[in-house]
Amino acid sequence: MIQVEALTKLYGDFVAVNQLTFSVQPGEVLGLVGPNGAGKTTTLRCLAGIIPPTRGTVRVGGYDLARDPIAAKKQLAFMTDEPRLFDYLTVGQHLNFVARIYQVVNWEEIATPLLEELEIADKRDKLPGELSRGMKQKLAIACGLLHSPRVIYFDEPLTGLDPLGIRRMKDSILKRARDGAAIILSSHLMHLVEQICSHILILKRGGKVIDGSIAEIRNRFSQESADNDLEEVFLRATAEPPPAPPVVTPPPPA
Amino acid sequence: MTTALFYLWQMSVRNRLVTRFKRLRQPKYLAGAIVGGLYFYFYFFRWMFLPHGSGHGPTPEASTPLDPTLRESIGALILFGIVLLAWIVPRKRAALAFTEAEIAFLFPAPISRSGLVHFKLLRSQASILFMAIFFALVSRGFRGDGRCLVFAAGWWIVLSTLNLHLLGASFVRTMLLDRGISHWMHRLFVIGLALAAFGAAAAWTVHSLPPLTDADLTGRSAIEQYLRQALVSGPLPYVLFPFRLVVRPYLAATGIAFLHALGPAALLLVAHYWWVIRSDVAFAEASLEASQKLAEKVAAVRAGNWQNANQQHKVKRPPFTLRPVGWPAVALLWKNLIAAGQGFTARLWIILLVSLTAMAVAMRGVLADGNWLAVAGMFTLAVGIWALLIGPQIVRQDFRQDLPQADVLKALPLRGWQVALGEILAPIVILTAIHWLLLTLAVVCLSLAQSLGKWNGLVWPIGIGTAMILPALNAISLLIPNAAVLLFPSWFQLGRDATQGIEATGQRLIFALGQFLAFAIALLPAALVFTLVLFAVKSFAGLALAVPAASAATAIVLAVEAGLGVLLLGWLFERFDVSAEQSP
Repeated sequence: MIQVEALTKLYGDFVAVNQLTFSVQPGEVLGLVGPNGAGKTTTLRCLAGIIPPTRGTVRVGGYDLARDPIAAKKQLAFMTDEPRLFDYLTVGQHLNFVARIYQVVNWEEIATPLLEELEIADKRDKLPGELSRGMKQKLAIACGLLHSPRVIYFDEPLTGLDPLGIRRMKDSILKRARDGAAIILSSHLMHLVEQICSHILILKRGGKVIDGSIAEIRNRFSQESADNDLEEVFLRATAEPPPAPPVVTPPPPA
Repeated sequence: MTTALFYLWQMSVRNRLVTRFKRLRQPKYLAGAIVGGLYFYFYFFRWMFLPHGSGHGPTPEASTPLDPTLRESIGALILFGIVLLAWIVPRKRAALAFTEAEIAFLFPAPISRSGLVHFKLLRSQASILFMAIFFALVSRGFRGDGRCLVFAAGWWIVLSTLNLHLLGASFVRTMLLDRGISHWMHRLFVIGLALAAFGAAAAWTVHSLPPLTDADLTGRSAIEQYLRQALVSGPLPYVLFPFRLVVRPYLAATGIAFLHALGPAALLLVAHYWWVIRSDVAFAEASLEASQKLAEKVAAVRAGNWQNANQQHKVKRPPFTLRPVGWPAVALLWKNLIAAGQGFTARLWIILLVSLTAMAVAMRGVLADGNWLAVAGMFTLAVGIWALLIGPQIVRQDFRQDLPQADVLKALPLRGWQVALGEILAPIVILTAIHWLLLTLAVVCLSLAQSLGKWNGLVWPIGIGTAMILPALNAISLLIPNAAVLLFPSWFQLGRDATQGIEATGQRLIFALGQFLAFAIALLPAALVFTLVLFAVKSFAGLALAVPAASAATAIVLAVEAGLGVLLLGWLFERFDVSAEQSP
């Protein structure tokens, strides 16, 4: 469903993403993890067609994102960590706008249960300025899911959500995966990745450190110890080599 | 603690300046700074290099300046009005506008209330000093004899005193609120007091003045004479006395006079400072709210959304029902029309109505024959031409509004040209509707007035021809700034790195010139076609038919140009790299 070949993104001389190759099949949830500045958000933005990759190809649902961007974009939804909403459109108007863009004929039949699922059905006539941070996030998610995308990217999806919202978001992601969507989720929360991802891809300085199913990666990094914690695995995978010990000059003889 | 706050202020100012100097390494800022610098030099400073006494700057004093006493009285009266409004109009509790970072660091810190007030006062001094210098240059121009400094000092006293007074007034309002006295009660009290004082003063003044006669209104000097008498008669000199003290240093004619006026004004300033510092009012909560609003406003301005920076969004009814199927780019038109609806408030209509009525009445006075229809027609036409030139700069519900959301637009399953067309459709529709309305009014009025002599028969043909041209003309005039935004996004007020200062002035000047040139070039082929068709058709069908025919041909040329422009705009949007523009 998502096929990425040698994806590279440069900013001048700086390599933000370096020769990234991976794929995500329908029903899989890939956790994109890495330290700050590893290139996770840049990767997701390239995969969503927001920024052009410098090199490499991205295929979404069989369509090349560079050659056939319209068909590819119709398959996907991108939920950013910071909800990007139009200040002057109400919740309902946002969904109406998205419905026209994606030609969702029965959008109202989809929107009503979706808003109820996200617990913002009573905010339908509110402007984003009247919503809390979490509600804005839910509205952005509702907009993304309205056209039933087959490919979904989440960038830090739990930011700003309350505990119940977090629970519902996890259930929602898993439900979409069960329904056959291919999902990529970028997060620093290793317990979230552990709970809902079937695969992970660890990035460091724009390059792939390792990828595979959770079980494979656990096995690879826990050979020397019985510790199977994903957080520990992440720390080992991204660890810097230990610094060289300082050279201690012996004091001159008195 | 005060030293820490002073350090914060000092470092903030220093780092801001250093950042601005550093960014001059980028050509766009350097070019802006050079052009802006030249502009300021020619406008304000070139006088200092001219022979002494050869010039006085941009606004030299009138050949017959107002009488000093009258000027002082008028200045005092204006200041009095501002102070009175400060007591009547505001509704909010006292709030010192801190930034969100200052709230986060300073409010939980062990800093006294007066420490925070001092910090706020210190910080406000930067803008007051800048404004004082700017006002001095604008109001008096640069003078090589050092009087500019005296004017700036005078302005500094006026602005600083006013700043302290507004703050003190807000503290008093809050104190009254805390004691259960509502805004309306204190407003009624202030208004009642002001009316009573005014009534008494007016009665006293009228009683002590000779009655107003026609002779008092026969010329400038007679009016000045009567005003001078009115302002120094009865109780007004006493009411305006403290305000006179504040404005007197600015209006001082000589350095000695300035020094004489400085003492009482400084005393008033110190008294105000003492009042503000001694006021024991809780402002933290209101400041928190104010800082959030300030942050939203700054974010809106930095996102290029100047028009919405000061306004609270309201739910607006969509202009039409957006069906889920159909051409997707219409969704952008629908969205932007809703956004444009935010600007069409009742207040705007009232202001427009009052302004238009006042201007029409003024024009009637200018025209001797008093032909109302002709006046209305010419006036509407003038407004229409003005709207044609200024409209694209005012109606900005296009890329100029949405570029901060470029990543959302980029993720939409639409071709670049579809996004481009959808984005500029709303302003085209709005401007064309306004122009057509004005044009219809003008044509109806002028054709009924029949006051254009031999041109009377051409009013309708010209009107119809202009109506045909307008949509494409508006499209072209909107394509230019939108293309400029996509080509040079960081030159506009977009993103986090919004330009300020002299560089911004220079950048705006460069762009204004660039847009004018681009518009002129775009109009050349259309003008050529218009001329050719006009003369060709006129030779066998007369001018009344030639004008619409030439206009139709021109409209086609402009529409083709606009279509090509939309394709170009779409191509620019597809090539627009969000990350390159948004990276710090």
